[in-house]
Amino acid sequence: MILPTPEEKRQWEEEGYLVFENAIQGEDLKRLQDTFDYWADACKEEWLDRVEAGDAVATFYDIPNPLEKDPIFIDIIDYPSYYGALMAFTDHDLILLGPQVRTVAPWPVSYTGWHPDVGQSNPLHIKVQIYVNDVEPGSGEFGFVPGSHKPGSGPYARPMRQESMTGHKTFPGKAGTAIMFNSCGWHVSMDNHSDTPRKSIILIYEKRTPGRIGPGQFASISEYCQTPERRKLFSLDG
Amino acid sequence: MPRIDAHLHVFTKASAEFPREVSDVWPAEREEPVEKLLGEMEKHQIDQAVLVQMAGASIENHRYLLQCLKEYPNRFVGIGLVPEGHPNPVEHMAELTDNTGIIGFRFSTFGGPRDIFAKMDVREFAAYPIWECAAERDYVLWLYPNAINAHLLPYLIEAFPQVRIVLNHLAVCPGAGKFSWDEFGRPQVQVSGYNLFMHTTYRLARFENVNVHLSGQYAFSKEEFPYKDLAGWHHGLLGGFGAKRLMWATDFPWILEEPGYGKLTTVIEELLPNLSEAELADIMGGNAKRILRFPDL
Repeated sequence: MILPTPEEKRQWEEEGYLVFENAIQGEDLKRLQDTFDYWADACKEEWLDRVEAGDAVATFYDIPNPLEKDPIFIDIIDYPSYYGALMAFTDHDLILLGPQVRTVAPWPVSYTGWHPDVGQSNPLHIKVQIYVNDVEPGSGEFGFVPGSHKPGSGPYARPMRQESMTGHKTFPGKAGTAIMFNSCGWHVSMDNHSDTPRKSIILIYEKRTPGRIGPGQFASISEYCQTPERRKLFSLDG
Repeated sequence: MPRIDAHLHVFTKASAEFPREVSDVWPAEREEPVEKLLGEMEKHQIDQAVLVQMAGASIENHRYLLQCLKEYPNRFVGIGLVPEGHPNPVEHMAELTDNTGIIGFRFSTFGGPRDIFAKMDVREFAAYPIWECAAERDYVLWLYPNAINAHLLPYLIEAFPQVRIVLNHLAVCPGAGKFSWDEFGRPQVQVSGYNLFMHTTYRLARFENVNVHLSGQYAFSKEEFPYKDLAGWHHGLLGGFGAKRLMWATDFPWILEEPGYGKLTTVIEELLPNLSEAELADIMGGNAKRILRFPDL
């Protein structure tokens, strides 16, 4: 397990994020990209039917039940390059809430305002966003306000234009980059002014609290979770 | 400040003088004439209204609407329809707006790709000439998009920032197969418990030319008047668009029996109780007067 360095720990505490360049690379990255594209294509028509029926959001699309689709989506949950940091920051008491394997339409269809996901009273809530393809500036890169996760920071208000957010930082990156952030912090997907939808994977974790995830939630993939660590991560034993 | 009902329908019996389409809900002998509307407006201190064409999109089908506008030029403005697939929509719109009181047209489709991730060239949308014409002639576009068309709208709005847009009925985009009529003769639209429109039409608030109707609550709510389950939607729209871009409307005549015209004149106070007096006055008519350029009374 690769544990965070003192400098990484400091940055996490003070700024609320870490960037892992080349977190996934080589054959693993190729396999992830190919699997993403295969299932995104295979499931898209069903999603469009649901959009037409008014049953699904029309601006982004998540591959349904990705963990059941291919083991690569399970393997990235505890991928070595960032798993150690996740464990360290949650006192080795980490659970997965779920993955979002997401394709997001470009501007002007897709538009996200700055927001935090949870409040300060929530148990530590961490997201890891993995870029599946290269994300250039202005093509839907992640944005974060360093320090906005800390109690007493702010107050923050959602500006009319994303780039007007005070103190924000944006994170373009190569395919395989993973960005870990505290979800109390204000964040956004910057507008994607390219004509290519942005593909990314968002893994959602939390520090364990009793009963947060039931043992049935990930039971369908239990055959891939034979070690005690994985069973704990996927809350398979309650 | 005038109180303006920003979306409703009137129609008379089908006849040679006033031909119109018929249906189970508006059979040939049914009429909901402008005099009946004026009676309700008088009773509840509503000064002006937007008459929206229904029961046919041909020029002939618009005759009753045109007569109402001619007879009461200071009380009403009109919204017309364009037949789907019309070979010359620009000519159709020009004929209907030639000093008639019709200020714009209502649409629910835009003729672009169904695939949300397809490369989009707005000039290839079937609706492009209509929007181009609206931009040149200052028509208002009155929009009630089908769910599968919602993703096309931002491309058109971005291309034509000068066109005044009014999203109908809480900016809802009805899904295919989700429309029906209830026992009171009112349209019903089955909507998801999760508000999908937060991701589509609500996000159009970033375009300053987009406005929204606070209307049609009866069609989406799972409760009776005052439709408290939709308070969150109203707050979301107020937060996004602000009080200067929202317009109250009743959707007369569908609401006459339940909950009744009078009750609907109070629905905004019920669902947005923290509005200031000035904000309420804007939503109840000031915005419609400014945006739709109603004549002075």
